[in-house]
Amino acid sequence: MRFEMTELTGAERALQAEVRTFLAEELPRGTFTPGLGMNGAKDPEFSAKLGRRGWLGMALPTRYGGHDRSAVDRLIVTEELLRWGAPVGHHWVADRQTGPVLNRFGTEAQKQRFLPAICRGEVSFSIGMSEPDSGSDLASLTTKAVRDGDGWVLAGRKIWTTLANVNDWFVVLCRTSPVEETGDKRLGLSQLIVDLHAPGVAITPIPFIDGTADFCEVVLDDVFVPDNLVLGDVGAGWGQNTSELAFERGGPERWLSTYLIVEGLLRHHRDAVPAEIVDLLGTATSTYWVLRNLTLSIARSIDAGGSPSLEASLMKEMGTRFEQDVLNAVLALLDFEPGLPARSTFEQLLVTAIQTAPSVTIRGGTNEILRSVAAKGLQPSGGGR
Amino acid sequence: MSVDPLLTETVERLLHATATFEAVERAEGDGWCAPVWDALAEAGFPWVSIAEEAGGTGGSLADAMAVLRLVGRHAAPVPVAETGPLAAWMATTAGLAVPAGPASVAAGDTSLRVEGGRVRGDAVVAWGARASRIVALVDGPDGGVIVSAAPEQLDVTPRRNMAGEPRDLVRFDVPLAEVDHAPAPAGLDHGAVLRRGSLTRCVLSAGALEAMSQLTVDYTNDRRQFGRPVAAFQAVQQHLVTVAQCSVRASMAADLATRAVAAGGGAFEVAAARVVVDAAAVEGTRAAHQAHGAMGVTREYRLHHLSRRLWAWRHEHGAVAVWRRQVGGEVAAAGPDDLWPSIAR
Repeated sequence: MRFEMTELTGAERALQAEVRTFLAEELPRGTFTPGLGMNGAKDPEFSAKLGRRGWLGMALPTRYGGHDRSAVDRLIVTEELLRWGAPVGHHWVADRQTGPVLNRFGTEAQKQRFLPAICRGEVSFSIGMSEPDSGSDLASLTTKAVRDGDGWVLAGRKIWTTLANVNDWFVVLCRTSPVEETGDKRLGLSQLIVDLHAPGVAITPIPFIDGTADFCEVVLDDVFVPDNLVLGDVGAGWGQNTSELAFERGGPERWLSTYLIVEGLLRHHRDAVPAEIVDLLGTATSTYWVLRNLTLSIARSIDAGGSPSLEASLMKEMGTRFEQDVLNAVLALLDFEPGLPARSTFEQLLVTAIQTAPSVTIRGGTNEILRSVAAKGLQPSGGGR
Repeated sequence: MSVDPLLTETVERLLHATATFEAVERAEGDGWCAPVWDALAEAGFPWVSIAEEAGGTGGSLADAMAVLRLVGRHAAPVPVAETGPLAAWMATTAGLAVPAGPASVAAGDTSLRVEGGRVRGDAVVAWGARASRIVALVDGPDGGVIVSAAPEQLDVTPRRNMAGEPRDLVRFDVPLAEVDHAPAPAGLDHGAVLRRGSLTRCVLSAGALEAMSQLTVDYTNDRRQFGRPVAAFQAVQQHLVTVAQCSVRASMAADLATRAVAAGGGAFEVAAARVVVDAAAVEGTRAAHQAHGAMGVTREYRLHHLSRRLWAWRHEHGAVAVWRRQVGGEVAAAGPDDLWPSIAR
């Protein structure tokens, strides 16, 4: 396990300054409702602006509309967007994971078809992993695709699918060979790219704990998926999906979800900051500072050809716990009763954060699963157990 | 901030051979650990980062902190932090000679002052009785003065920190003219001295947490209950992950603080690192002890060499409450729009 310290180059600092200027001009504070980290609103127009700036699909090849930039460059843009509460919802999944996975495993035709649109912020993706009876034990999923002519007929139910009701596509992990045939439930799984508007797809919002309706159930009733929308190799879905999870886990969205609550607390007390809030800011700032440098280290390691998946699991587990801890620390010092309708942006963010905080240690792999994954990477000095 | 791997490999080898369980244990009784000190001193390792022209070993501050990190990893009971990076640094910065042999400093905020031509006041000095010289920053009528006194010139009352390392109470009451002294140059003020001292505790603690993480993984893979290694249980894995996370946070914070101090700054970084390392020491020792069960709370097993040091070091060279308020005060004064730039500095 290595977390090498690194620092931003001059060019990277220039990019950071450019993004800050863009946000200050494009989304001046007070003129929009900020979101909490990756829960930022869906705003195709904003995503298209980022695309025009070259800030989507940054690490994808230029021949597919990408920019051949580094993981560190993408991190710089992403962390600025998240800490600003920018509306990242439309492009979030496509930019973070669908793009890289398509680039790695997709066919030439798929790359031509999807990647330029992802880089322009035009096309949106959801994640089709969880099912009613398969969460942490993902490989036990039962959504099934059966061979039919020049494609597959897909049937099953996917759940907790964020923004399925408004997005264009989702990547479905499904079974293409029965377990009895493969002998291992991790074999015989495949990833299919499914049009959320295709016949047979029925989407029902599941009201979320805070009353929002971005969370969905997607019923797949014999949906035809042509061969040209099979992502990567038939039967190789588990490995591809695991690599997708690695993209998900090491980023700044795992410790920035409640950042605006801390900033909001300081804004709320800006004229005279009480001593106990100074103390809270001391702890929070120091922790953000070290988590941010650990994330930067992971991105640098990816750029150097490493595959820091143990590091990413450790990061996500501690980053998400911190997101909850720092929120609770703020709440312990709050001098008003948060309620609705919100009287300020800070109050609105608080009400949302309090209610949605439990999800941060669940989405993208529960902390319990992450600990199991990470613990397997912590080897005794004498060799394997 | 690259460190020559040959340096760290050599020091690691020396410490592996000399800082054995028995040697560390014995030092708690004797207050001194000759095998470890002699091995390191012979090769000049306590004086890394002090210029060769001045009588040091040369090398960068990063090199010195890499050595110190290994000292922490092995819980080596020797004044490496005190001798080179603190005492020799203060002495040579003020133009005084590098003390021969082990040296030490008056730690933290002291009450030392020059009054009527005498240096007076009390200080805690690690390995004070064993030091050839005790170096201190003293407030004089015309500004700061660096003094370098022999312990024989001072009143030394033996005391230990809770890890059994000498932390003597030293009373200064000596004519200034009888001790080596020089005006403290610009920049060598109480803040700088405290920052350096605090940096050494961050680095030592990062080393100890790293060792503690590996020790906990090793122990839980050896120890079997219910027919399998306890590391196979999810409840225990949680502790392993927690200690590993504490270790990486502390290491990153210590590295960042070292880099900042080496570049001539570090006011924010050392304070923030201290806050991070303190929390990591508390959370990490709790998880490591829980994973070790009763074995970890015996004196027969090595864990306590690390955990007791972590508990002791967190109180040395400034209290965490002060460092926390320093970081918080800085960002509170800068205001909400500058909070993120402080984090992503």
